[in-house]
Amino acid sequence: MDVSAVKKPINTAKGLPNEFYIDHEVFELEKEKIFFAGWTAITFGKEVSNIGDAKPLELVGIPLLVVRGEDKNIRVFQNTCRHRGMILVQEKKNIKGAIRCPYHSWCYSTKGELKTTPHVGGPGQNTHPDMDRTALGLVSIRSHVWRDVVFVNISGTAEPFEIVNKDLMKRWAEFEQPIYHGGADSSFKLEIHCNWKLAVENYCESYHLPWVHPGLNSYSRLEDHYNIEKPGEYSGQGSLVYNPLLSSDGERFDDFPGLSEHWNKAAEYIALAPNVLLGVHRDHAFAIILEPLSNSKTREHIEIYYASSKMAESGFSDLRRKNTMMWKEVFEEDIFVVEGMQRGRHGRYFDGGKFSPVMEGPTHLFHRWVADRMS
Amino acid sequence: MDINRKLIAAHTKGDIENIARLYAQAASQVDEIPDKVAYYLTHAYVFALEAGITEAEDYRKTLKSLGREE
Repeated sequence: MDVSAVKKPINTAKGLPNEFYIDHEVFELEKEKIFFAGWTAITFGKEVSNIGDAKPLELVGIPLLVVRGEDKNIRVFQNTCRHRGMILVQEKKNIKGAIRCPYHSWCYSTKGELKTTPHVGGPGQNTHPDMDRTALGLVSIRSHVWRDVVFVNISGTAEPFEIVNKDLMKRWAEFEQPIYHGGADSSFKLEIHCNWKLAVENYCESYHLPWVHPGLNSYSRLEDHYNIEKPGEYSGQGSLVYNPLLSSDGERFDDFPGLSEHWNKAAEYIALAPNVLLGVHRDHAFAIILEPLSNSKTREHIEIYYASSKMAESGFSDLRRKNTMMWKEVFEEDIFVVEGMQRGRHGRYFDGGKFSPVMEGPTHLFHRWVADRMS
Repeated sequence: MDINRKLIAAHTKGDIENIARLYAQAASQVDEIPDKVAYYLTHAYVFALEAGITEAEDYRKTLKSLGREE
């Protein structure tokens, strides 16, 4: 794969070639070089909110188990029994005591320790000299939770999350405070027939806003936006005209406490490569995890958070629903373009395309991020 | 209802606390035969561990005293 044209300065660069979107082999390579090598988002902390909550899921085919232990910490394990490789937990549940493999009943603690191996030395004999339980605990997957997003590093070789993302964490340091999920009315999923990268590319530029989101154009014009560009780390867009949503009787959400004046009108939307889209505003935030289902299918998991526990209560459900519907409409408006770009990449003479040197720096940075990792 | 039938009913309901206690009861009824005690108590221990009930540690200690558990 020749990605040299992608790595050129934006004025002369081309976008990623078609095979990055439609070729199964490239998708397979992305698993190792992108999703396993770095920090990849898999789910939200709110999905395992209680002690003992366990959620099985897959990251591009790898079975994982997310568990909240008795110490309230979230841990991620390979969801595979060390004995015969059986899937340990098939569906979301609460672990009262141990994780029992349904095959031969080997049991593990929520910290992954192997607690017993029934009949392993014969009927009623649960030990054997060759069975070293300390060497047979669940395979722990390196994980980190930030802004309620659970990230994993499958390879175990990435730099610590806080090091990799220190600049973004510093940029949004004022939002480093408790966030409260709005509940069922603040959560939705979209299944889209496009490669995961197209969702990232579309999210991080504002160039398309007046054309694809005409409703936004009435109060948030193109010139009110700015590019966010951090080469090799993240990119996105910001707005300088954010106005909090108001209910019919003028009520609005609490602001995050202690924000500086800058955030009175500013909002930022950042794509944290590879697969998280984040948004922050003075009164709410959201996180979108892109779950790559194949090279041409992506599931978006969208979760909206607020600044206080009161905002998550029933008294604000109408306003929360209004906010969720507003975002759902925006994200649904994007579907035809990301799906259209996916279909367009079967055009064999498409050469990766040409970036606007002024408007599409964030998208080009993401292409370079991918190209650097894949080459 | 005998223990066997109770166990099948508990398995059907997925009542693992009850399963653990029924196996412990079965173990107590064969206390003169260590292999059988260990067999039933192993099952009691596994389900007690899964259920997170306090009896799990008692079962483990008994199995350990029989040389069957760590």
